[in-house]
Amino acid sequence: MGSACSRNRGQVVHEDQLYSVKFSKSGSFKWLLHTLSRSSSDVLRKAQGPGPGRRPSLVELCVARVREDISRYSDFSMLPRDLSQQIFNELVRCSYINEELLGAFRDCALQDICLDEYPGVKDAWMEVIASQGQSLLSVDISCSDVTDSGLNLLKDCSNMQSLACNYCDRISEHGLKTVSGLSNLTSLSLKKCAAVTAEGAKAFAKLVNLVNLDLERCPKIHGGLVHLKGLRKLETLNMRYCNGITDSDMKYLSDFTSLRELQLSCCKISDCGVSYLRGLSKLSHLNLEGCAVTAACLEAISGLASLVLLNLNRCGICDEGCEKLEGLVKLKVLNLGFNHITDACLVHLRELINLECLNLDSCKIGDEGLLHLKGLLQLRSLELSDTAVGSNGLRHLSGLRNLHSMNLSFTVITDIGLKKIAGMNSLRSLNLDNRQITDNGLAALTTLTGLTHLDLFGARITDAGTNCLRCFKGLRSLELCGGLITDAGVKNIKDLKDLTLLNLSQNGNLTDKTLEIISGLTALVSLNLSSSRVSNAGLHHLRPLQNLRSLSLDSCKVTACEIKKLQLAALPNLVSVRPE
Amino acid sequence: CCSSSSVSLSFVVSSPLIQALAREGIQAVMVGKGGEAAASAQHKEEHEEDGDMVGVVKLISAEGFEFVIDKKAAMVSNTLRNMLTSPGGFAETREGEVRFPEISTAILEKICQYFYWSLHYASGKETAEFPIEPEITLELMMAANYLDT
Repeated sequence: MGSACSRNRGQVVHEDQLYSVKFSKSGSFKWLLHTLSRSSSDVLRKAQGPGPGRRPSLVELCVARVREDISRYSDFSMLPRDLSQQIFNELVRCSYINEELLGAFRDCALQDICLDEYPGVKDAWMEVIASQGQSLLSVDISCSDVTDSGLNLLKDCSNMQSLACNYCDRISEHGLKTVSGLSNLTSLSLKKCAAVTAEGAKAFAKLVNLVNLDLERCPKIHGGLVHLKGLRKLETLNMRYCNGITDSDMKYLSDFTSLRELQLSCCKISDCGVSYLRGLSKLSHLNLEGCAVTAACLEAISGLASLVLLNLNRCGICDEGCEKLEGLVKLKVLNLGFNHITDACLVHLRELINLECLNLDSCKIGDEGLLHLKGLLQLRSLELSDTAVGSNGLRHLSGLRNLHSMNLSFTVITDIGLKKIAGMNSLRSLNLDNRQITDNGLAALTTLTGLTHLDLFGARITDAGTNCLRCFKGLRSLELCGGLITDAGVKNIKDLKDLTLLNLSQNGNLTDKTLEIISGLTALVSLNLSSSRVSNAGLHHLRPLQNLRSLSLDSCKVTACEIKKLQLAALPNLVSVRPE
Repeated sequence: CCSSSSVSLSFVVSSPLIQALAREGIQAVMVGKGGEAAASAQHKEEHEEDGDMVGVVKLISAEGFEFVIDKKAAMVSNTLRNMLTSPGGFAETREGEVRFPEISTAILEKICQYFYWSLHYASGKETAEFPIEPEITLELMMAANYLDT
């Protein structure tokens, strides 16, 4: 949230957004928007405190001063536009802007109006937004209550390059007609817009300059893609969770030869639908997560020579047909998680030497298959959770010298196996959530001093084992929920000053003493001590944790009322609290 | 920027202002015809490696009021830095003075104070906020924008 608006014009859909949680209008989170600063930079700035560092420019200081004295101003139109733009951005960032203040920006020739998820945006705001006229280049009114008539005010802002109206549920097919006149648009985002129908999509037909189109979660999109056929410049198209998209819609995609990114997660398409993508020679990102496709679709995909990312998570892929993966030598990211593949499939990955991320979560693979990954020296991330991989298999991975992140949760690996990864000092993130892992296994890993994320959620680590944690000085997140830790063990954590996430839930013996011990971990953003003996009496120890945003104390002797008091008195950044 | 010779005006400056400027290390100079007083301003030698940063520069407001400040301070402004460091490009580089026909004396004074505040802030010597009076905020912002500082 709150990134500089001008950057929005070049927006792209990133793979890492795939799993990010976005506050949506439908949720009950909107109240949070009033309390949350629109940028976390504020918190960071305070944390750094005064003193040497980047000096604020005089312009920045003046902008902050205007914000403080905002009631003195009623008109900024005499200012050069770059300054009124900076003031506007600052007021939005700090959630100061309201309908009345917005009036001061009438005719300011602003270029960017980014009110994404901003509370209270409605038709009455649109007149001032539209008054920016030909200067206006980007508008984001996502999650607003703007209706067709409000949107229609933008019709003369014909220089607009980027428009986002995500989750605007009051815009109808009729309202979309406004969009059809904005022929300079290069980026259009209409997530969860019920107006995008076979009829409504006609509005897109003349937007020949569109490069990025986001139609995620548009429920009635079926039959509408026919109107996209003239959009020859389209490079990214997001139709994730459009469960109305079927094979018959897919044929209209076959002409989009400039397409680079295509997101089709959870569309109702089969191998036949994927076959229409055969000619998209520039396609580098293809996301078919959750589609009912089989390995037969790899026939068409194997011809996509530019493919860098292929997401087939939760599809119906079996071994047969996977030989078609062999030619995709440019692949850097391959997600085959939750498919029916076995070790026999992995042999076809052997030549994909550019792979950096490989997800095999919950596949039917074991130690034998890992042999085929041995030569994938560019691998940075490897997901082996919920597989039959055991201690013997790990020896094949020990040479992966670039591996940053490895997930071995719910495998059959035991303490003995961990010795084989003890030399992988490129590892930064390691998940060993697995009941077979004990203090002995952890002791074998003390060489991995670069670790920043360590998940030992279900591992049977005792107070004795926590001594080893002292070696991981750069640890930023730690989960230790096996139930065997007491206050004595927590003492070994107290010097891990970089910790931002700490989960010690399920350790029923932890008391208020633990709160006292961790009170020096002032970088903590998230703390979970659920199902422990922490009580109201210990809460005051949390006062120094000024960066805390999430606190979970379910099933403790703690009342919501006391947490609320603490939150109001000392922890201004706390936004997520359990119990509430 | 303007480098034509304009008729310099003489200003009587109230003593609190002079004192304030002196505190900031700024030589405020009343001028008749130009820089004699400024030239005689005694500045202790800077122990700077970079020759570009040594010495003083004279900033002249719309009303003709001159501010003599350390070059190092002036360099806080990217606009001034460009003027003063671009080889032979600007008359300002040679003469060590820059005229601002659109910046009033009060605003230019404030900007000079900011230059020194910024230097102190960067070195950790200054932790107090830089004070900005509400009445001058917008005018100051426009000047700061022009000076890219």
